[in-house]
Amino acid sequence: MTREPRAVVLKGVRKRFGDVTAVADVDLEIRPGELMVLVGPSGCGKSTLLRLIAGLEERDAGEVWIGDRCMDEVAPGGRDVAMVFQSYALYPHMTVAENLGFGLRVRGAGTPAIEGRVREVADVLGLRGLLSRRPGQLSGGQQQRVALGRAMVRDPGVFLFDEPLSNLDAALRLQTRDEIAALHRRLGTTMIFVTHDQVEALSLGQRVAVMDRGRVQQVGTPAEVYERPANLFVAGFVGSPPMNRLHLVRGRDGRLAGGPFVFPGPLDHREATLGVRPEDLTLAVVTRPGPGPQPDSVGMSGGAHSSAEFTATSLRVESLGSEQRVHLDGPGEAAWVARAPSALRVAAGDRVEVAVVWERTHLFGPDGSRIGAASRPGGASPP
Amino acid sequence: MRGAGAARVIPLVAAGAAAAAGVLILVVAADAPSRAREHATREEARAAASLYELPGVTEADVLSLLGGRARIMAPEAGGAGPGAHAYRAGALEPAAWIAVEPRDEGSRWPWAPSVLALLGALCMAAWAAGRRRSPPPPRFPAAPAFLCAAMFALVAVTAQQWARGELEAISTSRLAGGLRAAEIAGAAGADPEAAARVAGLPWASGAALGEPDRIWTMPREVGAAIAADPRLRSAPRSTVAAGGAIYHRGTVALRRGPAVRAETAADTLHLVFLGYEETTSPAVALIASSLGCVLLVSLVLFLLPLAARPRALSRTLAAWGFLTPAAALLLLFTFGPLLFSLWISLHDWRLVDPAHPFLGLANYRALLGDGAWWSAVRNTGVFTLHVPLAMAVALSLALLTRESRRAVRWARLALFLPSITSVVAIAVIWKWLLNDGYGLANRVLGAIGLGPVAWLSSPDIALVSLMVIGVWMVVGYQMVVFQAGLAAIPRVWYDAATVDGAGPWQRFRHITLPGLRHTLFFVLVTSVIGSFQVFGLVYVMTEGGPLGATDVAVYHIYREAWEFLRFGNAAAMSWILFGVVFAATWLHFRFLERRGAHA
Repeated sequence: MTREPRAVVLKGVRKRFGDVTAVADVDLEIRPGELMVLVGPSGCGKSTLLRLIAGLEERDAGEVWIGDRCMDEVAPGGRDVAMVFQSYALYPHMTVAENLGFGLRVRGAGTPAIEGRVREVADVLGLRGLLSRRPGQLSGGQQQRVALGRAMVRDPGVFLFDEPLSNLDAALRLQTRDEIAALHRRLGTTMIFVTHDQVEALSLGQRVAVMDRGRVQQVGTPAEVYERPANLFVAGFVGSPPMNRLHLVRGRDGRLAGGPFVFPGPLDHREATLGVRPEDLTLAVVTRPGPGPQPDSVGMSGGAHSSAEFTATSLRVESLGSEQRVHLDGPGEAAWVARAPSALRVAAGDRVEVAVVWERTHLFGPDGSRIGAASRPGGASPP
Repeated sequence: MRGAGAARVIPLVAAGAAAAAGVLILVVAADAPSRAREHATREEARAAASLYELPGVTEADVLSLLGGRARIMAPEAGGAGPGAHAYRAGALEPAAWIAVEPRDEGSRWPWAPSVLALLGALCMAAWAAGRRRSPPPPRFPAAPAFLCAAMFALVAVTAQQWARGELEAISTSRLAGGLRAAEIAGAAGADPEAAARVAGLPWASGAALGEPDRIWTMPREVGAAIAADPRLRSAPRSTVAAGGAIYHRGTVALRRGPAVRAETAADTLHLVFLGYEETTSPAVALIASSLGCVLLVSLVLFLLPLAARPRALSRTLAAWGFLTPAAALLLLFTFGPLLFSLWISLHDWRLVDPAHPFLGLANYRALLGDGAWWSAVRNTGVFTLHVPLAMAVALSLALLTRESRRAVRWARLALFLPSITSVVAIAVIWKWLLNDGYGLANRVLGAIGLGPVAWLSSPDIALVSLMVIGVWMVVGYQMVVFQAGLAAIPRVWYDAATVDGAGPWQRFRHITLPGLRHTLFFVLVTSVIGSFQVFGLVYVMTEGGPLGATDVAVYHIYREAWEFLRFGNAAAMSWILFGVVFAATWLHFRFLERRGAHA
């Protein structure tokens, strides 16, 4: 049933709505059979990009290629794509079977063929018993399956998903996410999945394209995007809680300094931003305020007994069960968040020593783009 | 538990109240014939006395008139006759005292209504005894109230029928008596005025002599009897016809001078029946009193279970207090007139005639064979065909103006203008546009070499012209409603269909039309109802003409009521129209309900 998957290539695609540029000169290649996730905040142009691929919007410039054909003059119906919408877009006046068969019906397929294919897809999605119901009689999850089935029925070369999980509750969202991943593994079809949820993006995508203000900021595997964010936006958008930042300024001695850190070396930038993910901080409790019991031994998180880079006060501790998030009042003017194992006994008001895993830090230039990892800073900054 | 007890008491109270009201109705109904009988006896005595006073009339004549039920007594004995009614002979000099025994026709007590009332009361009691469920929530006791109302109505109608039969019998006997009196008076050589006086004619007092063209009404059956009477058939001025026509112009039989003799006097004898007409229709009082009973009983039934719970009672009373002004207005100005028109439709009701005899469903029956009415109905039906056409145009316009640009907004405004313009203004302007001679339409046609069209003066074209104007009038409103309907269809459905490969027609067919189905249905029903009620256009532009080609139902009703003053017929027509419109509306709501369950 499944066919040769199609590649989707965007070349300099641009779309404006009045004065607003929704999509700005996007170049993107989605490989055949790939599950690509477009992720970004609201209004970043990811849905518009998807609609441009589907042909629901007229592009202002650039080319959209699907497979080996340029889609400039091809109507949406002729692009061999199927789309699943956030609101599912099921037709309320049709039964589930009619909804599923609609795409085939408007293409003039015969009734037996439609019925056979609808039954096939309904079996795959477990919709067999619901075929004669109307969408209004289905639960949210069932409607979502029907929407998925409506896309599958036509056996398209490319699947387009426009935030299909946003209307589901949390548990159902996780389950459906897995099902879509499984579906992709089984069908092997090219899929483009739009979401604003970075967790969803990282867990589902084979590759992830992070978008902001109409531009693709970074394309890469989830690991690449997480571990080597191309710029400050990606660094801040991907990961929860977001990456800690510290503003660094070049001092008179030519060294970059910020808070307790002074970085040696010949850096060409006047300013930079240091980024450290919360899990790359290691905490040790040193003193506890008030007359209560002091920590009998210095509690360390992470286990390594490395020398601390700075000390700070924990302002607030959020316990998530498997871990805790400790909000700190440092370094310097910044307020960082650290992830600590739940075994660490830390409370609000504790004085903690913070160690940094320097190999995993990030340094961004004044334009926000990544320079590389920060090396261990030299001695304390001169008074 | 107290609530449950009260709930069980309700139907018993209702049954008692129903029985009491039924008896009340019967008493009221029985009273009317007995009063009429008394009245007739009095009139007979008076006629006999006048007769006796005339020269040449003998005692035997008087006795023959009264069929042996009279005794001529000494003046001293007047009024004291055992079991008799003694009367002084009206305005005449008392030539004699005449006592007339009341007619002994045997009292036909209305058994059927009595049995019905009793049965109904028994049914309610049985229902009360057989009911074994928990006390109902304190809401209006619809079922008992409905039962009461139905039973009262049944009893009232039966009682009315019975009373009517009695009254007819009395009036027939009075016809015979009057006829004989006039004959005797004529034979004795009395002048017509005296004869009329003897016959108890209303203008004997001279009050009606100046109005020879007054139209008097009498029951159809009596009219037919008069028409069948050979003595009356030959009467020159009688316009009484058998069968349908039931009025008679009381012309100047008595103004022809003293030479006129009995046969001419007999010409006016139909007026004898006025006595009957005045006593007819106790049903108004019956129905009104039974409705009052129903209201009172239901109110008591409603408040009874609440009495155990003072808080609920006070809340309910307060709520009804707030509701009363609005409810009173509604009753007075909506339901009142509605019921009154239903009442009128059951009677032979003319504005010029004080008598409104009850006809039952005869008005409706007569409508079945009324060609003019059916022609008006057909014209209304044909006119209504403009609705689908207008809807097609409006839907096209709505689709065209879907993307709202400035020019389109102006077009929309222009198209909507007719909907907020006075129908009369529209009609006057169109009448001018379509004038045969100087109308703009024919001028334009003439300018391009086409012959003048008789837009409004040809029976074949006039209705079509009105339909075109009808389209023009409603299209703007319909378009705006369609636009609202279109705006409510989610864009994403179109997106999904587009990606699925549906073309513009398929999107229209599978998305737009189903998405608009409620709107379409709403517009269809409201427009059809509006089209059933078309009046202003016809009234101003064609007055139903030419040759009745544009005589539509409402205009027909209007003419029947306000030109021919036949309110009974007009009310019956109105109720037929109401039935049709109501059915359409009911279907509409049923449809919406059913659909609402799905969507």
